[in-house]
Amino acid sequence: MTKLSVSKHETQHKLKSFQEYSQASFAWIISSVLSVILFINSYDFTSKTMKPYVLAASVIYAAFTLLQLIITAKIRRDILVHGHIKNSTRALGYIQILSILTGNVFIVTSACSLIKKDKPPEYTIAVYMLLTQLFVIAVSEINLFKPYVADTFPLAMLILLAIALFQFVTLLLVSKYVKRNNARPWLSIAAFPLIFTSLTGNVFALLLGLTLLTKIRNNGNPAAAKWEEVWERLTKNTTAMSGLFFIIFLFSISICSFFTFDYSVAIENNYGAILQSPSLAYPFGTDNFGRCLFSRIIFGARISLIVGFISTAIPVVIGGTLGAISGFYGRRTDNIIMRMLDILYAIPGILLAIAIIAAFGANTVNLILALSIGSIPTYARTMRANVLLVSTFEFVDAARAFGARNSSIIFKHIVPNSLAPMIIKSTLTIGGAVISTSSLSYLGLGVEPHIPEWGNILKLGSAYLESHSYLAIYPGLAIMALVLSFNFLGDGLRDALDPKMD
Amino acid sequence: MERTEASTKHGLINTISVAYNKMLLNPAYKYAVLLLGLPVNLVVLFFYFVQRTKDTYSSVRDEIKFELIASGYRDDLRAEIEEQSLRKHAFFGQEVKQEELKRQVDKITEAQFYKTLLERTNEKLKHSNQKRLTFAGTFTSLIKHPLFLIATFIPGLPMYILILLYGNSYLKYIFERLVMSMFVILGVAVLVFTILHLSPFHPAANILGETATQEQIAAFNKMHGLDQPYFVQLWNTLKGIATFDLGKSFSGSEVVTTTIASKFPITLTLTIISLVIAIIIALPIGIISATKPNSFFDYTFIFIALIGLSIPSFWQGLIFILNFSIKLQWLPATFNPQNWLSIIMPVVVLGTGLTAAVARMTRSSTLEVINEDYIMTAKAKGLSQRQVLLKHAVGNAIIPIITVIGLQFGGMLGGAAVTEKVFNISGIGSYIVDKQFIPDIPSIMGGVVYTAITISLVNVMIDILYAFFDPRIRSKMKQY
Repeated sequence: MTKLSVSKHETQHKLKSFQEYSQASFAWIISSVLSVILFINSYDFTSKTMKPYVLAASVIYAAFTLLQLIITAKIRRDILVHGHIKNSTRALGYIQILSILTGNVFIVTSACSLIKKDKPPEYTIAVYMLLTQLFVIAVSEINLFKPYVADTFPLAMLILLAIALFQFVTLLLVSKYVKRNNARPWLSIAAFPLIFTSLTGNVFALLLGLTLLTKIRNNGNPAAAKWEEVWERLTKNTTAMSGLFFIIFLFSISICSFFTFDYSVAIENNYGAILQSPSLAYPFGTDNFGRCLFSRIIFGARISLIVGFISTAIPVVIGGTLGAISGFYGRRTDNIIMRMLDILYAIPGILLAIAIIAAFGANTVNLILALSIGSIPTYARTMRANVLLVSTFEFVDAARAFGARNSSIIFKHIVPNSLAPMIIKSTLTIGGAVISTSSLSYLGLGVEPHIPEWGNILKLGSAYLESHSYLAIYPGLAIMALVLSFNFLGDGLRDALDPKMD
Repeated sequence: MERTEASTKHGLINTISVAYNKMLLNPAYKYAVLLLGLPVNLVVLFFYFVQRTKDTYSSVRDEIKFELIASGYRDDLRAEIEEQSLRKHAFFGQEVKQEELKRQVDKITEAQFYKTLLERTNEKLKHSNQKRLTFAGTFTSLIKHPLFLIATFIPGLPMYILILLYGNSYLKYIFERLVMSMFVILGVAVLVFTILHLSPFHPAANILGETATQEQIAAFNKMHGLDQPYFVQLWNTLKGIATFDLGKSFSGSEVVTTTIASKFPITLTLTIISLVIAIIIALPIGIISATKPNSFFDYTFIFIALIGLSIPSFWQGLIFILNFSIKLQWLPATFNPQNWLSIIMPVVVLGTGLTAAVARMTRSSTLEVINEDYIMTAKAKGLSQRQVLLKHAVGNAIIPIITVIGLQFGGMLGGAAVTEKVFNISGIGSYIVDKQFIPDIPSIMGGVVYTAITISLVNVMIDILYAFFDPRIRSKMKQY
């Protein structure tokens, strides 16, 4: 009995030390869920017929899932029997990369991680960078089925393709010449254009460029390892990276949509195409004014991301400053600030937002202000607790003994060392802000009704719940996916920044 | 028998004098005690002045001061401090003007000298078995006479009640929390009123329509007191909140507090049922998941909980209506008080976020506790897994969970607005949302403030609950 449990523990420990195994199992589980969902959707319950295209897609997904399952089993056996993953198993990853044609990002990332034995964080970031670019191109490509496209569409697509090609080359270079603790200096020639390509909203390119540059600058210098470690832990975490991938993908597509999408399809009424079911020209169908739901959701991402980010950034700055001041000075200052914030804290965020919007009117600026004010106290409390903790450390005493001024102690020593929990908290609450935005819009208190925002789209769609339910389902799925991504990323960041929890 | 009576009496007097002494040191309590027991304190003050004429303290102090100056102590101290300051400035490479330096040195010397003086004086008084006469000391000596206590019992009753509250650490804690939440509620009322007062909209124009004449608008403003200055309106509103009389609403002229009172129960019922169900589901799942970290069950559960956190409640409501009401026709789509089946969907929708949050918190706080040394000890003692979990782990992990529940309760009362709109429930949330388009200021004001009051009271109760669950907090309460 004891021996059994020990060996079970040992097995788990062995398997856990190989990230390929956990990534492969995650990939097959998610991919099988996706196959099942596709399969259920391929059957039309009302007319009792099969939809051939969806069925084909589900079969292809199932095939890749099966292969992934076999690979996972092989990895498990390799680890338990040989203590390492055999090259023949790793080679199977190349087949799985083909699943990029089906858009299954989980299997692709797992395969990319499988084919390379020694993976510096830069490699993983590069893979995600290329994937983001390809997804943006693929989603923009759907516009080709529309009766007409934006004037800038051909040129924009050409540029996007060129960037994708360049990023593919960089990926190859990175996988060959970047090692765990050093990088070839000449790679900085590639890093600068990479940072430039992040103008398309592909933040992974920016991240890769910056990490490459810092790595080249610190070649072989062990002192700069802190952020390196955080990146390493974060890139090993599949769920966190998937969340980050979806957020950056949405960000990138909302920037690229300025050139590749036609805004008029999303806002102008087209009475020739009212309430059409999903088709190639209108992937998610059209609403009661004949507007393309797919384009509306793409444009809605812009609003959701902007409102989410700004209404988190404002309270982070204000609440963080107030919390730092009250934690550092203590006594009376602390008492006054925190008691004031207690008043704000006693009103539920959404009710405060409703009151503010009732007083000043429903528009995007007021919405952002209303959401920001409500969440100042939580950030102030988080920051205050951190500052109280950090103030007791020796380096603060040392700085004081050297005669540093209070302001320089706060901003140079205390704030940088208490930022980690603020980063985690803000990532987790951006999701909450996205939900609040769409909830208020749904109630008619948020973004102006003529702007395609996810809550507004849903409000329209809820009227057609019985007959055209897809109008309410797709925008809701978009909200949920974005919020889920922020939550995954937040959880991953917490594990990466605060490793003692694991 | 007689003896115990005497000792309890003595104990009571002792408690009073100790608490009185302590309270005078605390600035907030000092004023409260002095004001509440004004007649008694005047008597004490009289005795204090009488006795002070006989006090030797100041004469002793003057004597010692003279001695110290004569012995050259002050000059030595000054020289020493001057040297220290010079060295300090030299070390930091600072340039300080002669006058500035002199000023600094004088200041430090004065402070040091005064400190030494006080010390010596107290030492000398202690030697000769005397004490400095203080106001609190006079009270202490007076209260030892039972006659004084009896004579001052009636005029000083408020003060004695306050003193007894202060003497008992639990009562003091509860009392302080209540006073604090009174201030918070006051602040909430002022804040919400100010926000609505700053509104650039004119409800009169909205309600009376565009054809309203100047006189009609003026009459409307006069009827609802909108023509009065800010502070008068604020005072009336605060009074109205305290006496449950906020007047009539702008549109429909219904009595605001009666309407709110009729809409509050359904929201509260909905919230409490969701809360109870959420706790019943979330606690066991969180604990089980923490006992099997990184297992398949654990991962599945984390994933489901994250989805529960990420799902917008109004969309969840719509999907439920689509599936259970339209397609399957199991449950009614809108709420109806006569049909208990119709409350199932709103309860589930409202409780989803809370269930996810509580389950995640339970998992992480149990995980944190489960690796502590005392759990190891309990296991080593031979306790079964079940006993270890229930007796040692859960009790210690429950505090952050209660905090989350308290926080989420507020969020739920606010979030109920959305759920109520989706399921067409006429609760307080949908009432506020309906009224904000006008904007009907008394109704919004009442709705928001009374919700905030409920939340504050719940949080006070939770703070008191802590004391029952956590012996650490109990002992901390006794110390301060």
